[in-house]
Amino acid sequence: MDGITWAGSAMVAARTRLEIATQNLANVSTDGFARIGARGFLTPVGVAVDRRPVPGHGALRRTGRDFDLAIVGPGGFSVRDAAGAVGTTRAGAFTREADGTLRDAAGRTLLANGHALRVPDGARIDERGDVIAADTDATVDRLPLPPGSSVHAGFLEGASVDAIHEMVDVLCAERSFESAQKIVSAIDRTREKSSSDVARVK
Amino acid sequence: MDRALFAAASGMAAQQQNLDTIADDLANTDVAGFKGSVQRFAELVAPGEGGVGTVALGAHVLLGQGKLAKTGGPFDVAIDGPGFFAVLDARGHRAYTRDGEFERAADGTVRNAQGFRLEGLHVPANALSVSVAEDGNVRATFADGTRSIGRVRIAEFPAPDHLRSVGGSLFEATVRSGAPRDVLPGSESGPKLRFGMLERSNVAIIDAMMQILAAQRAYEANAKGVQAADEMLRIANNLQRG
Repeated sequence: MDGITWAGSAMVAARTRLEIATQNLANVSTDGFARIGARGFLTPVGVAVDRRPVPGHGALRRTGRDFDLAIVGPGGFSVRDAAGAVGTTRAGAFTREADGTLRDAAGRTLLANGHALRVPDGARIDERGDVIAADTDATVDRLPLPPGSSVHAGFLEGASVDAIHEMVDVLCAERSFESAQKIVSAIDRTREKSSSDVARVK
Repeated sequence: MDRALFAAASGMAAQQQNLDTIADDLANTDVAGFKGSVQRFAELVAPGEGGVGTVALGAHVLLGQGKLAKTGGPFDVAIDGPGFFAVLDARGHRAYTRDGEFERAADGTVRNAQGFRLEGLHVPANALSVSVAEDGNVRATFADGTRSIGRVRIAEFPAPDHLRSVGGSLFEATVRSGAPRDVLPGSESGPKLRFGMLERSNVAIIDAMMQILAAQRAYEANAKGVQAADEMLRIANNLQRG
């Protein structure tokens, strides 16, 4: 490992930091988006940065829509897309379809223990995740939640991105990239001297 | 840098769409029966690579009830509760609206400002005045007394969130919204009609202004991200010169 490789790895690491910060900034309005954290570490071939979701949730905001759902506590909504792939999301902007199922903004169906959750006309979802029929007050379906979590209808969870934090990260990445570039250039100049000046015959 | 550049640019594009949606809401704050909408976003993920920005998924209509305001117009009706008035345009094409600012036309039909006709109601030419009861019953006063001349019905949809907005406060049924069903207003838990009132737009100007500020700042932050990515590309290009 020589100096240029080290400084080069630092430039790549700074680029990754910038990618992570711009990804977070781009999703500042994405409901349920979990901020990605950048963690730098040393490897035998230089410095590297990996990306990992940061624990913690976005702030809730009131929307007043019946099927905007926000989970307080751990857990997520299990959703299935048109191709049948099942995923988990904390973006809770659902709309009710004519057949009583709920779909999120990307068109994925909300699942409850593997089957599509059904909400009869006029029913509501309470904090325990129970679907309560309008006329009989009976529980007709249930949205599974981890112990200790609750679901709030009429609220949405925003992105857990703090724009100030990300702007600082953008600046830091830029400057760290610049410093590493200066080091690469300095080493390059030293080598230039040794290859051209040292051997020069006067 | 390319990924950073594209991620930041996708953020700018998404916020631009967000601003368009909010501006549309603000422009229609004075339109009776107008329903605001909200833009939704999702993280854009490339398989195996992780996030590469954001994407605007489209606008959701917010069907919350607008405030009812007393107007005293001769045929102003507001819906208190869910549902829509079914109206027909000149070609007989059906649309749905919560704008209840109707007028008696010379041919006895009841039309709104755009000339759309309220379905199933005809006011005789010799009627002096009309009134609409909570349950939709239309009573006309004639020189010799009052009589019922019809009933205003309300259309309700199984999935009203999927109605398509076709400008102003007009909506069209879609496959996803389901077929409308006729509802008689005035029941205990159902919608009621309010005569002499109009439903205002459900857009709160202060909320919309706050959203504009937030969207502008988010746009600006993403623009800075583009600048930073560009600056880093410039620095990388300077490697050769030293």
